[in-house]
Amino acid sequence: MEFLRMFSGDLINGIILGAVYGLMTMGLSLIFGVLKVVNVGHGAFIMVGAFIAYWMFTLFGLPPLLSAILALIVGIALGFFFYYVVMKWLLEAPELSTLLATFAIGIFLAEVAKAVWGPDYRGYSWNVGSLNLGVTTIPMAKVYALLSSIVIAVALYLWFKKTRAGNALRGVVEDKEGARVCGINVEGYYALSFAIGIGLTVMSGVFITLFVPVGINPYMGEVYTIKAFVIAVLGGLASPWGAFFGGFIFGLVENGSYAILGLIPGVEPFSLTQCLAFAILLVLLLLKPEGLLGKK
Amino acid sequence: MNKGKYYPLFVAIGIFLVLFIFGKFAQGMWEPVALIMFYVAVGEAFNVFLGFTGYVNFGYVVFMGLGSYGMALVVSSSSMAGLGPWILIPGFLFAAIMAGILAAGVGAIALRLRGAYFAIATIGVNQGVKFFIEGAKIWGGSEGIIISKPLKVALGPHLANAVTTFWADFLVFMIAILAAVITIVFLHTRLGYGLIALREDEDAARVMGVNTTKYKNIAFLVSSILAALVGATAWCLKTTYVFPDDVFALSYTVDAIVIVMMGGTGTLLGPVVGGLIYGILKYWLGILLPGFQLLILAPFIIIIIILFPEGIVGVLKKRVRGKKLEKFIA
Repeated sequence: MEFLRMFSGDLINGIILGAVYGLMTMGLSLIFGVLKVVNVGHGAFIMVGAFIAYWMFTLFGLPPLLSAILALIVGIALGFFFYYVVMKWLLEAPELSTLLATFAIGIFLAEVAKAVWGPDYRGYSWNVGSLNLGVTTIPMAKVYALLSSIVIAVALYLWFKKTRAGNALRGVVEDKEGARVCGINVEGYYALSFAIGIGLTVMSGVFITLFVPVGINPYMGEVYTIKAFVIAVLGGLASPWGAFFGGFIFGLVENGSYAILGLIPGVEPFSLTQCLAFAILLVLLLLKPEGLLGKK
Repeated sequence: MNKGKYYPLFVAIGIFLVLFIFGKFAQGMWEPVALIMFYVAVGEAFNVFLGFTGYVNFGYVVFMGLGSYGMALVVSSSSMAGLGPWILIPGFLFAAIMAGILAAGVGAIALRLRGAYFAIATIGVNQGVKFFIEGAKIWGGSEGIIISKPLKVALGPHLANAVTTFWADFLVFMIAILAAVITIVFLHTRLGYGLIALREDEDAARVMGVNTTKYKNIAFLVSSILAALVGATAWCLKTTYVFPDDVFALSYTVDAIVIVMMGGTGTLLGPVVGGLIYGILKYWLGILLPGFQLLILAPFIIIIIILFPEGIVGVLKKRVRGKKLEKFIA
């Protein structure tokens, strides 16, 4: 009974974390969908967001919900910067070039963060009460993270489906040349989607800080890069909405397996759950590389 | 086909020989030379896959790490078997087998798919293996394996000392030569032609009857096993310990990328020149700006990719086309 209570508590936490995971991956999928670029340095942008949250909170006492907006703006600026300085020159280059370039961007960001904040783990706690659900109590901070993630995902969906810019962007994804013929500024939309993708990613880093018990450090991103890849592949790689639902699945599997792996004596469940992400990825690539929700 | 096709190999071996003599006889130069040769070997092994297929293996270091573990496991488990120096042979063999099994498994799954998916799969493999070793607490878990004692038992204190100070580095030279030979064979056989064709246009290569999946897997396997051999000697034998944090450090994958991109992908001399320059550069940077190497190297990678995607040897190859030097550069 004790196990069942713990297990259901883990699953509820899994759903909440899953929403943040989904948000974290939408940027990756958006960039892949539009530019056909796999952002191997994805996790580093999450790290940037985490440090923005940490800094704003410890320096100015700004709550994460407000620093998320700042993170979005910083992220969009970073996105435009890296698009015009790096990505723009590599659009026609072989895939190898963009993979290596985004990898290098990720390393660069991590090293800048190390130079600024040092390599140690840091943390803060945003205490705004908690919600008692019977089987488990959930800090309100996490509930806000869940709600914010859903609101942002819905807003992005509406922007994508209802606005003129969103329609144009869908045109670019569908047929680049066709869109160009219709007078759509394709390069402009490339820059815009890269910037929005990075903006979302940096913003998700703010919410991630509410879920990391050991704190944040400059190299935290690597783990999230892998998780984001698993989630993106779950959702079909090129679809931000698929990614959002993939996030829920992954959050459930990860937190659920933590409780189950904890039952095996003599192992460290925390390390093994990290390894699980990779195992899931291999199985997915083997069985359904087009994603659980994807079409053949 | 002309007889001159192996000339670049002689150039590479000549460079190794000069380095070896310089390191052996110039006072205090053995360590820097050993470091340079380590980077040359790391680059050559990486190039066998990236250079010929155009696919990036972001989990490259995991194969060096597994090779290191393979050697450590053999030395620590059979130090009493009385094999003497011959213990290194099963050590290298086991290193190669462990890396080979992982490469075959990952390759069989991820190489059926295109570049992006493969890159995604390999970025997780390093963390996956490291967390598995630490999480399941096998092979010493996060404590690692220390082999200084078993190595002394197996080889005697005198020879064990000679291995860590000289023979481990000497074996890196041997592996570098082996990797160079493999590269030149790749460049001039059906396998290499097939790989280069698929690097340029995978669909076209497939239509022309190249078994792209099989060829990619062979190149991946060879590259990974070479990496394991480098890890087994340059890490396990030289330092006599294996710690998961050290042997799965992402920075070695970055090193390999910089060396190969700077030198020139898919060329024989590229990783040699790249490793040479990189080794010297890193040695200096380590002294001048300790702790900032990666911060400088990351923008450096981007600059190379945008401005000189062919690398030094790639540019050189174009320059000497039609001249006498042509057959020495490949």
